[in-house]
Amino acid sequence: MGDNGNWEEEEEEEDELEFSRNYFLAKELASSVKKSKHKLTDIDVVDEQELREAAMNIQPKHENEIALLLDSYIAMYPEWLLSLRCGFALLMYGFGSKKALIEDFASQTLTEYSVVVINGYLQTINLKQVVIAVAELLCDQVKAKRRVSSRQQPFNTQSMEDLLTFLYEVEVEDNDCFVCVVIHNIDGPGLRDSETQQYLARLASCTHIRIVASIDHVNAPLFWDKNMAHTQFNWCWYHVPTFSPYKVEGMFYPLILAHGSASQSVKTAAIVLQSLTPNAQSVFKVLAEYQLSHPEEGMPINDLYSVCRERFLVSSQVTLNSHLTEFKDHELVKTKRHSDGQDCLHIPLTTEALQKVLLEIS
Amino acid sequence: MAPSSPSNTGSQPTSTTENDIQPFFVLHKASPRRKDRTSVWQGKCRKRNELSPSRSAKKLKLSTADDCDGHLDQKLQIETFEIVWTKIESTIKDVLRDLNDSVFSNIQQWIVECFRTTTLIGEPSIAEATRSFPLLNNTTPGKLNSAFVISRNIEFVDDVLTFEELGLFLKSHGCHVAMLSSMEFSLKNGIAGCLKALLRGFLGSAFDPADISTLASWYREQGNYNKPLVLIINDLERCCGSVLTDFILMLSEWVVKVPIILVFGVATTVDAPRNIFPSHALECLCPSTFMLVTPAERMDAIVEAVLVKHCTTFNIGHKVAQLLRNYFINQDGTVTSFIRALKVACLLHFSMEPLSLIQGRILADDQEGTSGLSPETMLKYMDELPLYARNKMVDQTKKSMAEGLSELATVQKLWSTVVLCLYEAGKYSRVQLLDLFCEALNHVLSPSRDSVCHTRDDKDHGLSAINDSSQQYSIMQSGGFICQIVRRVRDLPSGKLEQLIESWDKLTADISEIHEKLKILQSSVRCQDEQSAHRSSKDTERSVSRVSVDIDKDSRMSNLQAVTFLDDLVRNYLRPIEGMPFHEIFCFKNVEKLQLVLIGDPRRRIQVDLLEFHNILRCSCCNKSSNALLPSMHDSSIMYSLAQEHGDLINLHDWFQSFRTIVLQLTNKRKQKSKQTPLPKKRKDMNGSGDQNEAAIQARFCRGVTELQITGLVRMPSKRRPDFVQRIAFGL
Repeated sequence: MGDNGNWEEEEEEEDELEFSRNYFLAKELASSVKKSKHKLTDIDVVDEQELREAAMNIQPKHENEIALLLDSYIAMYPEWLLSLRCGFALLMYGFGSKKALIEDFASQTLTEYSVVVINGYLQTINLKQVVIAVAELLCDQVKAKRRVSSRQQPFNTQSMEDLLTFLYEVEVEDNDCFVCVVIHNIDGPGLRDSETQQYLARLASCTHIRIVASIDHVNAPLFWDKNMAHTQFNWCWYHVPTFSPYKVEGMFYPLILAHGSASQSVKTAAIVLQSLTPNAQSVFKVLAEYQLSHPEEGMPINDLYSVCRERFLVSSQVTLNSHLTEFKDHELVKTKRHSDGQDCLHIPLTTEALQKVLLEIS
Repeated sequence: MAPSSPSNTGSQPTSTTENDIQPFFVLHKASPRRKDRTSVWQGKCRKRNELSPSRSAKKLKLSTADDCDGHLDQKLQIETFEIVWTKIESTIKDVLRDLNDSVFSNIQQWIVECFRTTTLIGEPSIAEATRSFPLLNNTTPGKLNSAFVISRNIEFVDDVLTFEELGLFLKSHGCHVAMLSSMEFSLKNGIAGCLKALLRGFLGSAFDPADISTLASWYREQGNYNKPLVLIINDLERCCGSVLTDFILMLSEWVVKVPIILVFGVATTVDAPRNIFPSHALECLCPSTFMLVTPAERMDAIVEAVLVKHCTTFNIGHKVAQLLRNYFINQDGTVTSFIRALKVACLLHFSMEPLSLIQGRILADDQEGTSGLSPETMLKYMDELPLYARNKMVDQTKKSMAEGLSELATVQKLWSTVVLCLYEAGKYSRVQLLDLFCEALNHVLSPSRDSVCHTRDDKDHGLSAINDSSQQYSIMQSGGFICQIVRRVRDLPSGKLEQLIESWDKLTADISEIHEKLKILQSSVRCQDEQSAHRSSKDTERSVSRVSVDIDKDSRMSNLQAVTFLDDLVRNYLRPIEGMPFHEIFCFKNVEKLQLVLIGDPRRRIQVDLLEFHNILRCSCCNKSSNALLPSMHDSSIMYSLAQEHGDLINLHDWFQSFRTIVLQLTNKRKQKSKQTPLPKKRKDMNGSGDQNEAAIQARFCRGVTELQITGLVRMPSKRRPDFVQRIAFGL
């Protein structure tokens, strides 16, 4: 065994995690076969382009059965509506994308109420904008019923506290008047932090707001303490597996076989670059342009330095090196030794990805 | 996709994709409602029919008359739910208010005292008060009056309402009240956040550089200074200690200008403040302690009021009661969730049992306080029920049903009286009402007494499944809580027994049947008392020990009589509602449904979805009894089933290879059947179409990993271990 030391290291790492692991599983592991040593790279992965194309055109399975399953949930719409109208919130869970189902429910049965949809599976969501939209809708709904004096202060200048207070205290005679907030993936990356969950819970506890949410993560209920789950959200749980593919929900997950997790995606590269100074960005552009025109070889450091000096991007080798260190730290740039012994810089991105990055930061 | 599936309906496909990447969007605005809801629903149904000619016949049927009727009924369901639940909720509120009443008024008294002493020190003049630095006077150390209200309940959620009520109570007794929670006392908010919240609490609006002098000058304004300032912080243990300490130190510096009185909610013990505050902060506090009732007491009071005393409003079956009890004792432990569970039960009851709608009518008419349910009024209510509910009664003559209903009410009243009597006796053996309640609902245990009534009902009404357990039942033998109570009564000292009988007297006052029996018991007990008194006076010369033995014997006689009385009550009147005809109208029994709606179990159920997806999809292709994985199965299901064979780390390469083997099975078989070349082992051996196939398999594998990642069942490879994903859930 050549890589024995390597394995010992791995085992140490395992020991660290040991306590948090299921006891029985640990026992099972100890007695069962040794861990497989196959590498991800052993898989003969097709071209990434081809893989992405194939991922777009996966033949769906059980189409008819899934359609029947979704149809069978239509019979539950009245029950869901009743729960909402009686002041409960709906929490949908079960395997499969529930996006279409919930939106269908909302557009079929909630026509009398305004519906706002939050796509929680997206990375960033500005909750304040949502709350402003909800407040405006509720105001419209109230105004339609009776003449109310228009608010002195527009909603978009108010603080989150004020908005929530307004929603909490707004007086509507009719109990059956509410704005429904549909939250796809309330456990999604954009809504996962505790502050957002607290705001959502407070939003849910307003008299004229109803929440219809979906969760996919098995541990999602851990977000909520008892106060949030029982009194603020006031969930009614509905188990509605759909087995529909997570098309949009999975959009932002990397394909596991596409260059593994080591490669930089366009998005992360762009985000890192945007956080750097304009000069640093320009240095990166110089390097990128060179790589685009000379795709096969890397750019010698000296060449980069001279171009950068010509364009007044750096004043000294030291400044350039500090930029390069920054790039290397974020794995935007790698050094490789050229055949003639010279150190060359290159960006570990495909030509296409690099073009996209340049577009993003320009 | 089938034309009728929800995935096809709704908005246009182009707009959908656009909306999919919007952080949020407005799906639709509320359509204007007409005044008459009925016409709206009918109008909509017609419109929908016109709009959807392409829908499948099934859906068309759904959206026609049935649908309209359904919506009309829903209005009735909501009304009934609201009437019934409002009644239950107000009962609960009253109960809690009564429980807290004495503590609240003690706190209020204490506040008045504190306020008096601070005003005695003397008010600073306006000029002094509005100076921008605090008054510091060596003679008056800055002590803050603070009350520690100990809830003895670690479940903070139960006390949120209590402290809200306390706030309202103090407001109504002339205090300025502000409520802050632990959220304000977080490191992130810091002292500025607390101040902001404090000002918002007292003054009602936000001030941007928040400054306590704003509060000081506000308090000096006309009319404000003659009321005490009370700040309630309802969860001391959850506050960030350092922020709270700073806050207290600051308040203590300003105590002369802003004589604020603090009320802390303490969940654990009296020691909690000592654990949270450093000594210099503790020195600033002048503490007093108050105790709230325990959660168990609260629970008993609620069960007594809602489920026993008002059992004719809404009740639950034995299994549902057990579910709630187990949920309360073993899982959640909060009164809040118990109440919520009742609410959900109530909702489900009205949504599932058409006849239950009669309850709303009964209660709405019962507001005046008359609780007599004569068969005539019942008949009237039944005529007003919607058609679909009336159809249910077709096989019964309405009259017999009306009679049955009013009899049910009578029997329920008797039942609740017996439970209350037992509970009163149970207080001596510390039996919880919830336990007793569950046992009293158990109709399997209950004897088949009053057989005349039962057989007649059995013939006349098909509604109820009567459990005719013919086993002879004795309360002394059953070994449950009732038995425990009765045993205790047997051994009760005579003084306490008298007390008990007296409390029974009050409980049974308006139930003549039981009251008469109690009178007999009382008179015989009294008679024995007199006898023993007589004997003891007569036999004074006899040895003392003999006398005491005799007295003992007499009191034992009274105890036995009390036991006989209880036995009689249990035997004759403790008839669980589930054994009665028409109980479905008032009693919610569907424990499975309640459990589903109340307690979601995503961790288990999502895994079951994947492992046993066939039970849900019911496809013909995967219908094999064997456990073998079939290529026709859902990709993620195959992958998750394969993952079960791995330990906590799954080697991606192995996982992919086994996935590939499974999904290629079908093609292999086909190939073998048609006697073609043997199975190609490597991609390079494959032809062009096979190459595409490989890409598809890899893509499917990738998607499977992503889907399992979304469900949280696997975690992505780390940098240190790039070839493995980690399993998160083990076992169901």
